[in-house]
This record gives sequence, structure tokens and C-alpha cells, in this order.
Amino acid sequence: MSSRTPQSSTSFGPFQCRRRPIPRRQFLRGASVLLGLPLLEAMTPALSRRVRASDTPQKPRRLLAICNNLGILPGGFFPTRAGSDYSLSPYLKGLRDYRDDFTVLSGVSHPSVDGSHASDVCFLTAAPHPGSGSFRNSISLDQFLADRIGHLTRFPSLTLGVNVDRGIRSLSWTGSGVLIPCQEKASSVYRQMFLQGSEKEIEHQIRKLQLGESILDAVADQARSLRRRVGPLDGDRLDQYLTGVRELERRMTLSREWERRPKPRTSAPMPLDPTNPRAYMEKVRLMYEMARLAFETDSTRAVTLMLDGVNSPTIDVEGTAITDGYHNLSHHGKSDNKLAQLKAIDEWHMKLLGELFGKLKSAREGDGPLLDRTLILYGSNLGDANTHATQNMPVLLAGGGFRHGQHLAFNTQKNYPLPNLFVSLVQRMGVDTDRFASSTGSMRGLEFA
Amino acid sequence: MLLLLLLVTPLGAELSAPAQAFVEAHCLDCHDSESKEAGLDLETLPFDLDNPTVFARWVYIHDRVRDGEMPPRGKKPEKTAVEEFLGALSEPMMAAHREQAETRGRTTLRRLNRYEYANTLRDLFDAPWLQLKDLLPEDGEAHRFNKVGHALDVSHIQMAAYLKVADAAIRDVLASSATRSRTVRHYAREQQSFVRHMYFDDQNREPERATTPLLGHEAQIDVLAEKVPVTVGATNPEVREREAFGVVNGNYVGIGYDFNNFQTDVGGRYRLRLKAYSYWAGPGTIADKWWEPDRTTASRGRRKEPITLYALSPPSELRRLGSFDVSSDPAVHELEVSLLAGESIRPDSARLFRSRPGFVRSPWATPEGMPGVAYSWLEVEGPIHTREPSRGRQLLFGDLPLTLSGGELEVEPRDARSDAERLLQNFLEHAYQRPPEEAERKTFLTVILGALDSGTGFADAMIAGYSAVLASPGFLYFEEKPGELNDRALASRLAYFLWNSPPDEELRALARDGQLHDPDQLRQQTHRLLSHPKSRRFVDAFLDYWLDLRKISATTPDSALYPDYYLDDLLLESAVGETQLFLAELLSQDLPARNLISADFSILNERLAEHYDLPPLDGVALRHVKLPPESQRGGLLTQASVLKITANGTTTSPVLRGVWVMERILGKPPPPPPANIPAIEPDTRGAVTIREQLEKHRTLKECSSCHTKIDPAGFALENFDILGAWRSRYRALGDHEPARGVGKNGLLFTFHYAQRVDPSSELPDGRAFKNLAEFKQLVLTDERQVARNLVQQLVVYATGAAVRFGDRPEVEQILDRASSSDYGVSSIIGEVVQSRLFRFK
Repeated sequence: MSSRTPQSSTSFGPFQCRRRPIPRRQFLRGASVLLGLPLLEAMTPALSRRVRASDTPQKPRRLLAICNNLGILPGGFFPTRAGSDYSLSPYLKGLRDYRDDFTVLSGVSHPSVDGSHASDVCFLTAAPHPGSGSFRNSISLDQFLADRIGHLTRFPSLTLGVNVDRGIRSLSWTGSGVLIPCQEKASSVYRQMFLQGSEKEIEHQIRKLQLGESILDAVADQARSLRRRVGPLDGDRLDQYLTGVRELERRMTLSREWERRPKPRTSAPMPLDPTNPRAYMEKVRLMYEMARLAFETDSTRAVTLMLDGVNSPTIDVEGTAITDGYHNLSHHGKSDNKLAQLKAIDEWHMKLLGELFGKLKSAREGDGPLLDRTLILYGSNLGDANTHATQNMPVLLAGGGFRHGQHLAFNTQKNYPLPNLFVSLVQRMGVDTDRFASSTGSMRGLEFA
Repeated sequence: MLLLLLLVTPLGAELSAPAQAFVEAHCLDCHDSESKEAGLDLETLPFDLDNPTVFARWVYIHDRVRDGEMPPRGKKPEKTAVEEFLGALSEPMMAAHREQAETRGRTTLRRLNRYEYANTLRDLFDAPWLQLKDLLPEDGEAHRFNKVGHALDVSHIQMAAYLKVADAAIRDVLASSATRSRTVRHYAREQQSFVRHMYFDDQNREPERATTPLLGHEAQIDVLAEKVPVTVGATNPEVREREAFGVVNGNYVGIGYDFNNFQTDVGGRYRLRLKAYSYWAGPGTIADKWWEPDRTTASRGRRKEPITLYALSPPSELRRLGSFDVSSDPAVHELEVSLLAGESIRPDSARLFRSRPGFVRSPWATPEGMPGVAYSWLEVEGPIHTREPSRGRQLLFGDLPLTLSGGELEVEPRDARSDAERLLQNFLEHAYQRPPEEAERKTFLTVILGALDSGTGFADAMIAGYSAVLASPGFLYFEEKPGELNDRALASRLAYFLWNSPPDEELRALARDGQLHDPDQLRQQTHRLLSHPKSRRFVDAFLDYWLDLRKISATTPDSALYPDYYLDDLLLESAVGETQLFLAELLSQDLPARNLISADFSILNERLAEHYDLPPLDGVALRHVKLPPESQRGGLLTQASVLKITANGTTTSPVLRGVWVMERILGKPPPPPPANIPAIEPDTRGAVTIREQLEKHRTLKECSSCHTKIDPAGFALENFDILGAWRSRYRALGDHEPARGVGKNGLLFTFHYAQRVDPSSELPDGRAFKNLAEFKQLVLTDERQVARNLVQQLVVYATGAAVRFGDRPEVEQILDRASSSDYGVSSIIGEVVQSRLFRFK
């Protein structure tokens, strides 16, 4: 057999994901539970300058952000009454066991984010006017965090997806507005996290990384000499190139450091990837599982998951015959038949989310449930997929150490800026900031527990 | 007031006195700091031409006044006053752009986009079969194209992808060249996927979703009854040659029939020979199920059937390879194609139905039976080597012995260091298309020698050095200096314009000899490049962005409203081909740009002719067809591809289509929509038309100023549904007697025909039209504008910068020169190349 691209020997990227899992678990073996162990000096990678006193890893927090880009039927999702004595909406009844572990938001959206389906790429960035010709995306919430605390774990972040239109969609975007591709296979996420390479493979990998670093030195050399010969605007482009080179180099160096450290262990079995995109729900479940394992082993602190219904075919939903493509269903045109099918799909979304909450709640970290240390943001870029409206986004926030159990209701005519929630999340993660994208402050009505 | 203007305007950027007087007399009533109508406050807007946003604002003001839209009705100033104002405004703006062009050029330094990168590696390694585009991150776009420097970013992800892709491509090229060509025949009777569907199981008991064993045109009842083996195999070559499997269904989930008992070992060019023919299945024998073919009866086919071949890589990624027709006579059909390592082949009987759960019958079923396709065998020959050793291998390792075993590549150097130096020097010359500088040579040699020193094998060390070259700025970036381009840069611009690929040896030689900038030489080369088959790379890449053709599958036709197109890949592929070949035809025949709006021909096949209600054609091949004079078709606006791209699969919106036509075809982009106005909610129940919904909205003053410009083009296209078929009534769902018919999915129609379509409207200047034909006539009263738009689109694509205010005189010159050919499309391209816009940075 030949050397087909993915398997071929000198594979260099993508580096944000290639790094093998964290070693800290290693020290904990036998201790049966995961402790919030202070980082040993030797485990802290060299490049941790940006850590502040406020984000000491004493009590790590993590974020899982999920965007279901076909939205949720608003009628089923939003509760009517506001405050902490609200009654659960039909959909939220599926999460009733965790009523005090989440907050549901209404009347929120990203200011100036229009562009119908194109808005999903802004779910975590809030960059304005995604449909327009001159659109540029900006940094996503997870990458904002990865830039600041990503060096504390083996993977600065994980970008996951289900049925994602590759190269088009992702929730994760770099500071220069470049897409980070989604990982679609749970098995390869698992492999990265837990499967140890042989000594030979590790040596081989280290040599490859060194080779990669020497390649980057060479191209940077040439870029610098070219840089001297061009004007300022052209020079900006070469500066960006050099930044890309340096960033990759930094990641290669970090990868090399992780190579020698053993990976954590897990009792969870290797997942079997469904091959058919119809198995959408099963794929969602597996990705939730990977996020949970990543958090339990502190392999990363930031995970995004794009659920690309727009790119999904007719999907399989247990107990309901789905007769049309997911995207087509979302343009239900008020057809009863389509609405009934969508309802079944939405309820499955809630069910899977509930399963995830439950598992994180029963997993312990230190003196409390892992859920209290894990922020889960679930929502959609579309308030109503039928009309492509990007206002009144459905948003649900669970765990992570906020005072939950409430419905934060804002004006549905004049929405409250959702980026404010991101500011609160970043702060809750222990990173010092007072703004994110078009925020006007931190989230009103949301308090630290 | 005048004083105030002077005060707020930064020093050195003043509006001239006459222009200020005009503003005060005619504009400030509405656009002062108090009223700020349309958000425009001319009291505080500086005339600061260094600020691009402010500059754009003044261009917009200039154009609104020029077009007579401002000042509005009833407040018209004298014509001379307007002209004086426009002159006073444009002079400093022109000067500013001129100066910018001279000092830093119109364009910003840019890298290859992923289309260009992929083609460049194909040409460099003489490996046209490489498919690298989709392995690189999607490129940013500006002015709708992937050719503009400031949108072509590089991140660590892009860098990682470059290293990975270059490494993989080099290894694939070497593996291909090290693999001997062979020919292997794969019999349908030995393919599990065909055999499996012969038997009924719990999943499937429908004869339409099963394969039928055939011997020539006869059903092979003994095989079906499992009395004899599925194939005679090698024991009886004569019978084996007549064995086949028949299908009456397209290749889709539920009935997949693939030649996938094999996968290609290496990438390369391959010859595929498929033996297949059409047959006639049935008729049915069950009285009340006449449409169910009886698999024990078969006969000679009654018509040709189209087959499309796809490269299939696990689990289910498909890449179209080509289509052809098979007749009722068993025959071998050959295609030369590009395959990657690890691919199998999927044939699709493309016209036949694709049964979905709950299906009733094939739309082609008759009481006498139904059409089917029979597959005998597929022969795969390759990889085909046109040269030994291949040029790619020669470039990478010269004549050093190369071995490939178990995926590991080894090259035996004679003297590692001197071989490395020699090979690198040669590689750099080819990759950079110029002699490398000493410093560059050293830089990359360091990579290779460092690798060798640390124990890396010779092949891997060289590949690391080559990967570095292919990820270096010298390879990735266009080197253009302010002022007139040197011949090398000109050759590059020309080749990436008309081939989307690097210059070939002839262009390089002309550039080396300093002859290319000679206008006659440049004209000859433009002609040569356009006439070369590689110009198809331009056509496809240009259309992918100009018309968004790459988004053809972004939406799928609604299965309930449009079951007749749902899953019809043949229609979609034909539609894309039509648009590509249409532009290619305009180019090769130098046909006038007005054909973009209205043409008396199109490029059609049987499926498209049927879709367009034209006299029937025979066969899947696309060909030039003269349209009947009464036909509604002709030009881009009536092509299925364009009409699909501008719709969403369920409904059409005159607003979205209108914006699209204004921007892409008419060259008059409307301003962006106001923020946070929700789109009109589509209604598929047939209660209210989109037009009625829009009318309400258009009566609002703040909406109407733009919508009177946007909507007319959209209304004119209302007679065309989401995939471009003619409609006089909208389709709707709901409690009505459904239309009669069976979908491509085998389900009965559930939609009904609702309200009538009204395509009439009027242009902003008041000229009314009744339908698309009249709309087209009105558009063509200004043929030059149609050509001007094409020039503007081509200039972005060719140079990497939009036409700016200061470039407008150049555009008019291009048009003047092209006018003698009635704005022939290739004449326009010729004049674009001759213009300063193209020849200067």
C-alpha cells in the first residue's frame, strides 16, 4: 500500500491537537480520584508567562461550548415566567433533575450578528455581519482562553464537530480570524488522549518535531529578509506569516516536551465511530463523552463542539421516523408533520445534554462534583431557524460554579448582548478581563456561587 | 456653515470651495448634524482621503449625485452645477489613488490561494491527479474573490497544513512513479455490494432495491434461485463475459453497488473501462402491483442510460470522475481519470430513481416494465506513466535509485552532501522559477544537512528540505514591486490569471529574455493561454467565486415541495457543467458580453433540455444547442445553477436574488442591509405570496429607497423555481389535492399548485417590464454596463485588487478598446491584460 496522505510518515499538524494528554494524572494514580493538585514546577511548560496570580491552577475550571446550528424550536424551549421560580418549559422538563444546575437565558443575542446560517461561525466570536462580503471573523471564546491558559494542559483546546461541513464551519477561530478545523472522529480524540506510543514512535515523533522546527527556522529566515525589502502594507502580510510560523514553532516545542510524558489512563473503552452521518445523535453522544473524559483527566480546559445540522442528512432518531433532511425540516414552514419531527429531535438534544450533566455531576473532583468546575454553554446561533432570525438565541448555561436555577429573561424586542455572558465565563475561568467582542460589561443577573 | 466645514476638516484635506458651496446649497437641508438623514452628516464628515472608510463614503456620495439620485426629486440643481461639483470632488480623489498606485501599488502582497497552490504542485511535479485543494484551510475572500492579499491570511494552522500537504504530495508523487502500471478486471459478479443486494433480507424485500443477475439481456433465474453459483468464474470465459448484474435504482443508501473489492495502491492517472448496457426489467406479475418488476423477466433495453462514475473513499466521500451513456448493446466505455491512493469506484445509473423509505414506485415504471442498467465488469489500468522516470521523480531525486517498500521510501545517494546540494539547487530553480539566491540555498541546505546529521535518512531529509521550500515566502508569495511589473512578475500574473497555475516554460523563457512586456507579445501569449486546455482552470475557479458556483450544493431541494429534483445529482452536475462550458464558449468564440444576459444558445444535455422544457436531446454529453426563438432561456440568469445558488431549497426570495444579480451581474451592488431586520418568514402553505409580503414592506420609506433597486431583478426571476425550472404557479403544501406524479425518491407528490407567479415590476427609473424577457431587454439597453461589470470582476480576479475610484478611467479605456468586438469576452480579457491595472502592481 502507498503512503496516503493522512498516514504518511512526516505528519506535522494540527498542533493544537497533536499534543498528548496531561501527565498530572500520572502522579495521581492510586489516589482513585482526581485532585486539584497544584502544578509542579517541572510540569509547567516554559512559555507560561501570561499566567496571573488570579488563574493559579488550584481549582481548574473548564468550558464546553456547544452550538446546535439549526436551533431549537423556540416555543418548546423558552420558559414563560422569569426568575428563579419559573416553570420548566416542555423541553427543559427533560432536564428537570438538574434544575438547580443550569440557568436558561432568553432575549439575548450577539449585536450586529446577522447573516442567517452564516452566523454559526460567530456563535463564540460575536464578530459582526458574517454574511457580508467583507466579513472577518475574530477570536472565539475557547481560543481566547487557550491563548491564556492553554499551556497548562496537554491540549490547549479541543475543537470537535458532528457532521461538520469541513473547512467552512467551526466554533473555534484564531485571533486573526482563521478557522480551526473540527475533529469529527471520537476514536481519534480518544487515541490522542490515552494511547501511548512506543518508545520508537516517541523518538520518531520528537525527531519529526525537531525537523519541523528547523523547517520553520528556515522559512522564517527567508521571510525576515523579504520583509526588509517591501513596504509597510506588504510588510504587514509578512509579519502575519512570521507570527504564524512562530506560533507553530511554539506549539512544536511544547509538543516535544509532552512527548516524553506518559498519558493518563482511562477505564472508558475506545469509541466506535459511526460511519454514517445519519447517526447524528450517536455522534453527539460520543463527543459529549470525549469532552467528559478530557475534563476528567484534565487534558484540556476548553472544548468546542459544533453540531452541524445544516450539513446533516436525514438523521436517525430513536423512536421517531424522520423523513426529511435536518436542514429541510428546520424550514418547517409551520407544517405540523415537520414540527413534530423537529420536536422529537430537540427532545433528544435535551436528553443527551441531561446525560452529560448527570455524568459530570456524579464525577468528583476534590471536594465537589466535576460539574461545578465545568461550564457548559449550550445554544444556537439561530433564534428561529425557520426564519433565519439571529435574535433571541436559545442559550443554556450549566455548572461551573454559578448560582443557577433561574430563567434570566431579557427584552425579546431589544436583546441583551450575549458577549456579556462570555465576559462572565472568562472571569469565572480565572482569567482577568472586562470585555469580549461587543460586550458592554459582565452578565447581569448571573452570580458566582 | 462654510466656516464650520473648514474647521472640522483636517488640514490638507479640504473640500474645494465650489464643492463646499454645492454641499451647503443642496445637501445640508437633510444631511446636517441635526437631521443626519440616512446616517449621513456632511457637516462633520471630513474630506480625509487617507481614511479608506471616509474615502468610500465620498465615492458613494459622488455616485449618488452622478446618477441623479441625489439631491432627490424636486430639488434638482443645474446640470452644470452638478458637473462642477463632481469634478471638484473627483479630482483630488483621483489624485489620491494615483499617488497610492505609484508609491505602493493597488495591490497588497499576497500568497497563493489553495486553488493556485494545488495547481502549482500539480504542474511542478507533473502530477495532474493530485487533489490538494481541500487539504488546505479555506481562503478568506474580499470583493467576493479569493485573490486579495489582505484577505489571504496565514496562521499557525495554515503553516502546519503547508508542511503536511507538501510532505504528503511529494510522497504520493514518488510512490506513484515507483509503482508499475497494471490492468485488473473486476467482475460485478464478484463484488460483494452487488451480490449482497441480489438476496432479500429483513432490511429489504423490494425488487426495485435489488440486483438482478443477467446473462446478456436475459434474467438468470438459476442464479437468482441460488441453484447455481453466482458466477461461473474463470471456468467458462465465454459465459463469464456475458454475466452481469442489473439494477433499476440509482446508487444510493439502501442500494449501493460499488466496485469496492479493491482500492488503488497509489495515486495517479488511470484508465477505467466499464462494460455495461441498458436492459428492460419486468414487467410485474402481481396484478395490483404492476410497477414491481419481476426479476425473472428481462429483455433488451429500450433506451440509452447515463452512468456517472465516482471515486469513492471510505466511508462515503465521493468525487465525480465523468459520465457517459450506455446503449442496449453490451459495450466497453473508457474514461481516463485521476485517482488517489485508497479509492474505489462507484457507478451510478444516474437517471434512475433513488428509492427512499415509503416509496411507491419508480417514476419510470410502466405496466410493461421499467428501464434498468446492467453492469458486467470494470477494468482499472494504471497508474499510467507518460514518461519514465516521471518528471516529478526526476525533479526530486534525479536518477538516484529509489525503493519503496511497506510505505517506506528510500533513496541511495552517491555522496549525500553533494547530491543534496545539487538536487536542492535544481529544485529551488523550478519551485521559485528563478535562480535562487546564495542565502536561500544555504538556508534550506541547513535543514537537509541538519536532518542528515541527526540520523534522518537521505530521502526524509531531502523531503524536509523540499517541504521547507514549498512553505517558504519565496514560493508562496507573489513578488510584485511598486510600479510596472518586471517580466517575471508579469508572467506570473498572466499565468495565474488565465490558468490559475504557474507560468510554463514558454512564458518563463519570454520573461527571462525580457520580451513579455512587449504589447504584441503579451497579446499573443494571452491568446495562447486562453486557447490552451488549462484555461479551464481559470473558468472553473473564476465561476466558483464570481457566481458562487462552488456553493451549488449548499442547500438541498425540499423533498416535499420538490421531490422531482431531490437527490437528482445528474441534474445538478449537468447544471454546473452548463455554466462552466457556457463561459468557456463565450471565451473561445469571443462572443459579446451581452450573452451573459441574453444568448440564443446554451450548453445542454438530455436532462437539462427536459428540465428547461426544450425539444428533447439524446444523451448525457453537454453540447452547444441553439435555443428556439420563443424560449425563455439564454444567458446566465436562466441557468439552473445560478437559480439554485440564489435560492434556498424551499423558497425563492426576490430580495436575495435581486441583490445577487445587482452585485454579480449588473455591477451595482446595493448597500448592506440594515442590522437586525429579520428576513421575511417563508410561507409554504400557499396562503400568501412572497410578493404580497414584500409589497407591504416596500411602502415604508426607509425600505423603499433600496428595495426599488434590489427587488425588480428578483421579481423578474420569480418564474423560475429553486432549481431553475419554469413555473407559472407556486408550489405549496397543505390541505389541497396534491399534484399527480412520482418523485425521484419514488414517493407520490404531496405538493399542490397554489397562487400565480407575477414576474412584472419596474426599474427604479420607472421603466416597467412584464417578465424576464422584457427585463433582459431593458438591461441590454446599457450593454456597456454589462461589460463594465465583467471587467470589474475580472480585475479583482486578475490583479488581486478591486477597481477603485481612481481606476475608473482605466476601466473605461478597456471598454473603449473592447467595444469594436461588441465587448467580446476574450477581447475584454485581452484589454484587461494590456491595461495599466494589470501591468502595474
